[in-house]
Amino acid sequence: MSDPIIRFDDVTFTYAATDEPALHSISLDIQAGEYVAILGLNGAGKTTLGLCVNGVIPTMLGGNLEGKVTVAGLDVSEYPVREMAKIVGMVFDNPEFQMSQMSVAEEVALGLENAGVPYEDMKRIIPETLELVGLAGFEERSPLGLSGGQQQRLAIAAVLAMQPQVLIMDEPTSNLDPIGKQEVFDMAAKLNRERGMTVIVIEHEVEVMARYADRVIVLDSGRVVMNGTPQEIFSQVDALGELKLRVPEAARLAQLLAKQELWSGPVPIRTESAVEAVNELLGAHNV
Amino acid sequence: MSMQMALPIAMIPGNSVIHRINPLAKIVWVVGYIALAFSTQNVFLLYGMALFAFLLAPIAGVTKPLLKGALILVPVASSLLAIQIIAPAVEKPWTHVADIGVLQLYGDGLYYGFVLLGRVVSCLLMALIMVMTTHPSDLFTSLSKLKIPYAFNFMLAMTLQLIPVFQREVGIIMSAQKSRGMKGRGFAAVLPSFVPVFVGAIERVQQLSISLESRGFGSNGFKTSYRQVKVRPSDWVIGIIGALLLATLVTVSIMRGLWSVSSLVVFPHIFVFWLFIVAAGTFAAIILATLIYAFKK
Repeated sequence: MSDPIIRFDDVTFTYAATDEPALHSISLDIQAGEYVAILGLNGAGKTTLGLCVNGVIPTMLGGNLEGKVTVAGLDVSEYPVREMAKIVGMVFDNPEFQMSQMSVAEEVALGLENAGVPYEDMKRIIPETLELVGLAGFEERSPLGLSGGQQQRLAIAAVLAMQPQVLIMDEPTSNLDPIGKQEVFDMAAKLNRERGMTVIVIEHEVEVMARYADRVIVLDSGRVVMNGTPQEIFSQVDALGELKLRVPEAARLAQLLAKQELWSGPVPIRTESAVEAVNELLGAHNV
Repeated sequence: MSMQMALPIAMIPGNSVIHRINPLAKIVWVVGYIALAFSTQNVFLLYGMALFAFLLAPIAGVTKPLLKGALILVPVASSLLAIQIIAPAVEKPWTHVADIGVLQLYGDGLYYGFVLLGRVVSCLLMALIMVMTTHPSDLFTSLSKLKIPYAFNFMLAMTLQLIPVFQREVGIIMSAQKSRGMKGRGFAAVLPSFVPVFVGAIERVQQLSISLESRGFGSNGFKTSYRQVKVRPSDWVIGIIGALLLATLVTVSIMRGLWSVSSLVVFPHIFVFWLFIVAAGTFAAIILATLIYAFKK
């Protein structure tokens, strides 16, 4: 296997004003091109983990970082956030709080301007990026006049324009309606599949993560407690329940049926496979 | 959520001759206006400047919003003139015009009152014309060409952006407080809204700073600009004419000892008396209306 694009080597991080570490001796490898979902309760350290990757921790936010975070071969603590921005793009939960410009085009241009990209290239990159996130033709609109889903896709476009290798999305859909959520996740999946972009999503939507993610990492009180494929993770219904985390409804159904000895075999994690399996089950019982 | 409130003073989109002038040429005129206004006491010159600025409004198609923005002049004008009549800012002896109760009216300060007002009116109208015909981004791009630091320009641009956002936030918080049975209108309702608005603002700015930094904001390397502001020959002409004309007038004014023509302008006593009644009445009415609005249940 090639070198991972992101490596956490026994990372412990404590925020400046607190005693309890937010992250406890985390060791993780994420390969280039992976789609990783990070699950956990509020305060489990998910956002902190993301901020470690783009260097906001420890460069911008103070605190005590032990261990080493390496991204694309660079020790994050040795590079300013603005340098890491060329490698890691991070999108946050409230899209409106990420808007600073008068027009959509200028919002996308901001990162390019800071990177010194020539005007001629920007003229090409901006429409391309907006096309990619489904906002073609919105160039002259005000970012504050867009819907939540459009704003979040604009926030994503604003980091995508810089062509990072890694896209981190921190609860990107928590302020969005169902259609907005779908738009954002479809786009991330497309970037992952078609461009080989490494995608890290911090999310509560287990159904969606069961569908898209290659790998699920579960955090609890700053520790990695589970790390595996969605199938491996979501079939542990009881273990996730103990962590007070939701599991996909399909897995829950399979578990309830298994308790009645109506189910054996693999636990489905997607609704479609559960429907299929239940149909088979009904057929077998001649219902 | 994403409803937008218009600022009372904002750019009025358009494609007039005035809109197309380069922001830097406009800045020359505004700065020149300010320099001239404060180096002359010639009322004819001051109101001539104001008239010239006002005549630009129909060309730019911003007459109506300009008049709306200029409403701020009503309390300024009425208070300035009323105060100059009862307490002239010139040396005694003062010519006593009339008495209203305990107030004694003098005509001597009125010329200076008109000078002060003329300064405010001419600079305000010119600045409003500029703001209303210039896209903020073009303005900031032009300012950065003048080597004004990027972060400073960004701060100005951000302020413009955040005003409508905070207006909306105040609205939301006041509705929330109203729904909990607190006062929903007036000063008494606005005051307790400040804490949540400021806390929200700090959170927003913190998040924004992380987001901006994640897009290379702090980069101290070479930056480019997406907005291209052209400088055409006509912009040079307008800028140079403005600079020469206004610099000449400043020089003339200073050489003529501020060019005051107060000896030529004599106000009849009856004019001073009625002007005071109107000005003081207007100002008192504005204060009263504000108080009534603020403390109305």
